[in-house]
Amino acid sequence: MSFVEKILKGIGSNFEKGKPLEKLYPLYEALDTFILTPGKTTPKAPYIRDAVDLKRIMILVVLALIPATFMGILNTGYQILQAKDMAYDFGQALALGASKVIPIILVSYMAGGLWEVIFAVTRKHEINEGFLVTGILYALTLPPTIPLWQVAVGISFGVVFGKEIFGGTGMNVFNPALVARAFVFFAYPVSMSGSNAWVAVDGYTQATPLAVAAGTAKGSSVVEALNQAGFTLNNMFVGFIPGSIGETSALACIIGLAFLLITRVASWRTIAGCVLGLLTITSVFYLLRGPEKLAFFDLPPYWHLVMGGFAFGAVFMATDPVSSAATDTGRWIYGFFIGVLTGLIRVINPAYPEGMMLAILFMNAFAPLIDYFIVENHIKKRLARVTARKS
Amino acid sequence: MSKMLLRTTADIFFKRTPMGTFQIRKGLDIKLKGQAAKEIKTLPLSKTIAVAPCDYKGLKLRLSIKEGDAVKVGSQIFQDKFHPEIRILSPVSGRVAMIIRGEKRALLRVIIETDGKQEQESFKKFNEHEILGLSQKDVTTYLLEGGLWPVIRQRPFSKIANHRNHPKAVFIHAMNTEPLALDVDVLLDKKEKEFQLGLDILKHLTKGEVHLCIHARASAKALTEAKRVQIQRFSGPHPAGNVSTHIQYVDPINKGDVVWYVEAQDVLRVASLFMNGAYASERVVAITGEGAKNRYYARTCLGAPLSALVEDGGVNGLRYISGSVLTGKDVGKEGFLGFYDSQVTVIPEGGKREFLGWLSAGFNKFTVSKTFASAFLPEREVSLNTDKNGSDRAIVLNNIFDKYVALDIMTFFLLRAVISGDIEEAEKLGILECDEEDFALCTFACPSKTDVGEIMRSGLDLIEKEG
Repeated sequence: MSFVEKILKGIGSNFEKGKPLEKLYPLYEALDTFILTPGKTTPKAPYIRDAVDLKRIMILVVLALIPATFMGILNTGYQILQAKDMAYDFGQALALGASKVIPIILVSYMAGGLWEVIFAVTRKHEINEGFLVTGILYALTLPPTIPLWQVAVGISFGVVFGKEIFGGTGMNVFNPALVARAFVFFAYPVSMSGSNAWVAVDGYTQATPLAVAAGTAKGSSVVEALNQAGFTLNNMFVGFIPGSIGETSALACIIGLAFLLITRVASWRTIAGCVLGLLTITSVFYLLRGPEKLAFFDLPPYWHLVMGGFAFGAVFMATDPVSSAATDTGRWIYGFFIGVLTGLIRVINPAYPEGMMLAILFMNAFAPLIDYFIVENHIKKRLARVTARKS
Repeated sequence: MSKMLLRTTADIFFKRTPMGTFQIRKGLDIKLKGQAAKEIKTLPLSKTIAVAPCDYKGLKLRLSIKEGDAVKVGSQIFQDKFHPEIRILSPVSGRVAMIIRGEKRALLRVIIETDGKQEQESFKKFNEHEILGLSQKDVTTYLLEGGLWPVIRQRPFSKIANHRNHPKAVFIHAMNTEPLALDVDVLLDKKEKEFQLGLDILKHLTKGEVHLCIHARASAKALTEAKRVQIQRFSGPHPAGNVSTHIQYVDPINKGDVVWYVEAQDVLRVASLFMNGAYASERVVAITGEGAKNRYYARTCLGAPLSALVEDGGVNGLRYISGSVLTGKDVGKEGFLGFYDSQVTVIPEGGKREFLGWLSAGFNKFTVSKTFASAFLPEREVSLNTDKNGSDRAIVLNNIFDKYVALDIMTFFLLRAVISGDIEEAEKLGILECDEEDFALCTFACPSKTDVGEIMRSGLDLIEKEG
């Protein structure tokens, strides 16, 4: 037995049955298996098992989020420096950004983690690693100016009403991180939208690219309006624009995407569906453009890919296997309609310039229905085989 | 013309290669260390053997002997409570040494001490000509009497066949694709005559076809030149060799259908019973796995103790499995060979705890996902132990299963139907065509460590009970 194992065993003895901390056993179990692999063996066939477990999968997703987190921190700092008319300095930007973003991430983890532990203890199951992903995903979708108590309220709502109420991990219909985000979006609209939200400097207003595009007057060029506001395609791709913490950099999302695809943790079908859907609907708008139409129609479709939360949502939110369709065909359909709905909400609906969150939540609700039709089709084929044989 | 067109379309859809081979695309061959050398060594009769009721699925067995009784090869040990004509016989001559019971006096096994004489109970003998002229009733009667009825199992439910049923086909399971499995070619080398006789006897059991399912690369003449049966060739990764796979590709089961299946090795035993008028208790077993010091094919006796088959070189911490790592049974070092098993696997025990395992690059870990560095290295033989490599979790990755199931089954949805107790939906999704073993690879690969096979088994049991 190794040194670490001995220490853990020592701590663990306080959590055994009949000991004072018995109820908090899931907490100890989580720590124990975090430090050392569980070391359980197979009780019955198959006697061998793959090396991968859910912990590994979730950790890989967290790793995939590192570029987006890093860019989010850097950009938050950069925006502050800009608002204060100070010269850009990498270290300073990073420090300023970290001082705003790290507390948000920590509060999200702590408040959500607390609920996880409460439910694990009352339901007597082990703590699920899925929360490691939910906690940071949610934090990255928030504007950097959000008050910390709102962060806590939002994640609490997301964990309890987005996940646990359905029976916990694996049972939820909606993506818990998005439920949390939607809750704060509707409950505290002042902190979550408008032009005050995006730069962490008091009284400083700055619109996001989507707001600029939606606000462009009929007959004028939307690309020009964006460029004038400083939102070039390059800028939006790299991510030095105002927006929610983790979603501004399409580049960071693409790095994360590459990692998720190489490790095959995310479904490429969902993501391909999202991109295809968004390009399709925005191409339709583009074809219909004209002086009488909304100026937003005029935006070349590929611009949409780097704007707003689309890249972040498609890579990290839509791909959640539990709340997306479970069939391969279903994932194409599910992804495609997320893309279409996002485009529709962005361009046509002036109330919500950002459509990604609502589109994913909406399609989360429809995912079981998509699967239902695919399964029914499969059953029909099986029945056809029976009747073919009987005749 | 239209028929030909239909055939070509079928070829495309079922991926039949021109030779008439069913090419299985889905699945996985786990290249486990510890292959047995393909030469058969005859072992001396072991001092004890066991007959275990739990091997005979679908029977409720009653003891016919008591401790101390003398038995011959072919003496009755058990009979079925509901069909007393189904008998389980002793594979050796000697003395009943012990009757082991478990909880609620459930019979666990009967241990027989061998006397080495192998005295035989005698049964009726037939010559080749007589065999061809037998009726279904004759064959059934002699198989029941000769104690070999239990070699015939049925689908659905994978239990011992009901001899009053009329199967629409009989499948001979003459290929194995499980890790380190016995090579049927070696077993049947120079056994053309006996094997053909066995097939001829079994042919009487059905008005339909006898399908001999063999590997596309099979070389034993007993297989490739078999007559009066339909030869079905399969290739591809495991589960290309599973009975369910064969049945679904050749003649799928629909509701109400029953098909029977027999292991290739048992075909030889059937032939031996009819030819020699004696209960055949010989069994060839591949001794495999890196825990076994000598790896070879052993010609031994049914119910032989693993301690007589395996030499472990005094190493502790090994897992003794009668069968393969995917579907076998952990019987322990003191355990005995299962009735249908043709393989023993010995692998190291796992359970070593690793520091921050989830963070390691994992060059030495085996995974079919791409989550460890080893997945990007060239394929090689792997050493796997019994570690579960994780804790039980709810299913999150819900679409990884289908690529390991060679059947036309939507595994995740079937699983969900079974978990929610929706029998009707499970039947619609084809559970009756499946067996627990068809999902062994799913369980192997699942990051949430879900025992998919066990859940499917519970679904099948429920349907059997209610139907």
